[in-house]
Amino acid sequence: MAKGVLVDITRCVGCGSCVVACKMWNKLKHDKEAPALGKDAGLAAENWTAVSLVEITGAGDSGADKVWRFVKNQCLHCEEPACASACFSRAIVKTGAGAVVYNADLCVGCRYCMLACPFNIPKYEWDKVFPRVRKCQMCPERVQKGDLPACAGVCPADALTFGDRDDLLKQARERIAGGGYINHIYGEKEAGGTAWLYISDVPFEKLGFRTNVTTTPLPHYSESVLRLTPAVGLGWGALLTGMYVYNRRRNDVAREEAEMRISAGKGKGRKGGPRK
Amino acid sequence: MEDHLKEDQFALEKKVTRRAFMKMMGGLGLAGITMSLSGCGVSTVAGQAGGAGWLPAQYQGNAAWPAQVRGRIPIEAQNVSIVRDDEKCILCGQCLEVCKNTQTVFGHYDFSLVNEIVCINCGQCALWCPTAAITERDDTEAVLHALQDPEKYVVVQTAPATRVSLGEEFGLPPGTWVMGQQVAALKRLGFDAVFDTNFTADLTIMEEATELIKRVKGDLKLPLPQFTSCSPGWVKFCEYFYPDLFNHLSTCKSPQQMLGALVKTYYAKQKNIDPEKIFSVSIMPCTAKKFEAARPEMNSSSHYWHKTAMQDVDAVLTTRELARLLKNQGIDLNTLPEEKYDPLLGESTGGATIFAATGGVMEAAVRTAYYFITRQEPPAGLLSLQPVRGLAGVKEASVDVPGVGTVRVAVCHGMSNGRQVLEAVRKGNAPWHFVEFMSCPGGCISGGGQPRSAVPPSDEVRSMRIASLYEADARMARRESHENAEVLSLYQNFLQHPMSELAEELLHTHYVDRSKKYNHLATEKLTQAG
Repeated sequence: MAKGVLVDITRCVGCGSCVVACKMWNKLKHDKEAPALGKDAGLAAENWTAVSLVEITGAGDSGADKVWRFVKNQCLHCEEPACASACFSRAIVKTGAGAVVYNADLCVGCRYCMLACPFNIPKYEWDKVFPRVRKCQMCPERVQKGDLPACAGVCPADALTFGDRDDLLKQARERIAGGGYINHIYGEKEAGGTAWLYISDVPFEKLGFRTNVTTTPLPHYSESVLRLTPAVGLGWGALLTGMYVYNRRRNDVAREEAEMRISAGKGKGRKGGPRK
Repeated sequence: MEDHLKEDQFALEKKVTRRAFMKMMGGLGLAGITMSLSGCGVSTVAGQAGGAGWLPAQYQGNAAWPAQVRGRIPIEAQNVSIVRDDEKCILCGQCLEVCKNTQTVFGHYDFSLVNEIVCINCGQCALWCPTAAITERDDTEAVLHALQDPEKYVVVQTAPATRVSLGEEFGLPPGTWVMGQQVAALKRLGFDAVFDTNFTADLTIMEEATELIKRVKGDLKLPLPQFTSCSPGWVKFCEYFYPDLFNHLSTCKSPQQMLGALVKTYYAKQKNIDPEKIFSVSIMPCTAKKFEAARPEMNSSSHYWHKTAMQDVDAVLTTRELARLLKNQGIDLNTLPEEKYDPLLGESTGGATIFAATGGVMEAAVRTAYYFITRQEPPAGLLSLQPVRGLAGVKEASVDVPGVGTVRVAVCHGMSNGRQVLEAVRKGNAPWHFVEFMSCPGGCISGGGQPRSAVPPSDEVRSMRIASLYEADARMARRESHENAEVLSLYQNFLQHPMSELAEELLHTHYVDRSKKYNHLATEKLTQAG
């Protein structure tokens, strides 16, 4: 069963427990220049998850001018990941458990995955001699043992729910039906569906989410064309071979005809005459 | 020719097989020994400061997720009282424990957040944090800057609680009385005047007891019981969760803010100093005092002089920050002589001394209220009001006052205990006339800015500090706030009488309803509606 995490934006208090848990479990460095929590938070080679504070004007029923929402960012673990599709060395693969994982040993460093990702998730170790692509792996060793991903296991506000993606979708719909949320499960259809799902009381575009992502799984775009590769390759070859054979035959016939014509025209002097 | 060459090659081969080979192997061996002796190439457990096995399990690798990983409380980046270093946080959950269960703040509001993180600035999380990831916001830089500025007249006040705890930062046992040494240390740091917050603690009692009597007699149309208002953590808690009980809250400022207001008015006048050149510092056991000093309404001196942008207290240092400052400046508290506070705002009584302990404000208030009502010295029992002493969560006492009858009082500390009292008041079954609230368990002596002599804070350390205060009170010649000669002369020369117009302007305040700053829990909504 494909696992996933449901993030309830309304419940996040911005404590950053998930950020610290991620760093502890994955042994990532803290860098004050690249914060993983607060207004300037962002993903980085050492920030596999970041919780950013978003100030929103004119939202909520509290009457406050500006309300605060916290958005946890990390790899969304697409159902059909564009990064894995772009990776020709099979360094990024989608596991049966739902995680999109990266194997540094296979990576050649082309960074196609970074270009392919519609959410701008994979980061690169620009300052290393042998750099790796870095992103959330959804703690596969932990999940394998039946544990929760580090971040989901430590949330004190129950903002993160780990489980089977189908159950999570059901739960999300129930919560939305209960009121107080906008009717949109981010990740249900985006990029063909993602393992991480978000529900919120504030429109997602106000929270900095990319909402113009196609609902078609991205690999489909390239696959619909690339699927023709063998046919095109073989067909083109066959066509060229045919043309070659045809041309060659035509040339042969033409030469023979010419020779025959010459021999017919100069038939008398051929025996004695010098050969040109 | 060829033969000669052959011979040479033969000789060379012979050399390699014997002496050269031995030399080479010997050299390699020596190099190897040198390398291993110098520790080169030895694999150690990466980055362990204390050696193998010293650090908690969560640092030892990915073997298993330790059971004690529980998460942490949210802290705003702009919080004026506390800061957190993510690098030190081990998600042990101690801060959650104290914030949720002892102080009943985290988890006592509903999601989603509005536009701030609910925090009463008490700093108990900083006391409980085992790795010191959560600490006070360091303001020592601003104080040093002011001290180095020759234009500034830098004054300082010291809270009742720091004199029984500062010594702990210098190796003395908990509760060691270092009042005089602390004054000496502050003078060595270069403060122009050292005042005692105990002086305004006495003043608070004068104002608060007067207010109480007015409430009891009906001169003030405000309900009973009256709540104390000295603890800024408690005041903010009330503003968040019980704004419907504002009328119960005494309008008196805390001693820190009273002294701040007086320094830039009364003292500036008496000494003929430009109030704008005064930089007022306070040494507090408390992180919430940083928030209190920064409150926009705490600028009475600006109003008094009709000037703008002047806070009554400019910087607040916790006990820990003062200790750090002293150590940075090379001042050893242990070697200093005892010195005295500066006059005008420096005298204090036993009543003020016990302010720092839970029940202390109540006991001091009872002593003076008794005198105000009866014009007689209180009986000996009132000078050692045992029912309000000690570390029980909620304490009650009743005092017979001739002419008034039985005065019933209650004392609570730690906001989970506070909630019990507040719920009783909300439901209307509160038999008390006066209730003392202190945000921190044990009172100011175990405030969020105190030395971390026990982590998490222990009742043993709390009791030792409290015992030291009561001993000091018992030693004092004057033990009632109304006997403070400097307070009396302050009224004579400046304020006229308690709750005079000027006293109201400088020594009293108003409160801000913060209940809109968070979403209420469903149960809370029900009780408030009903």
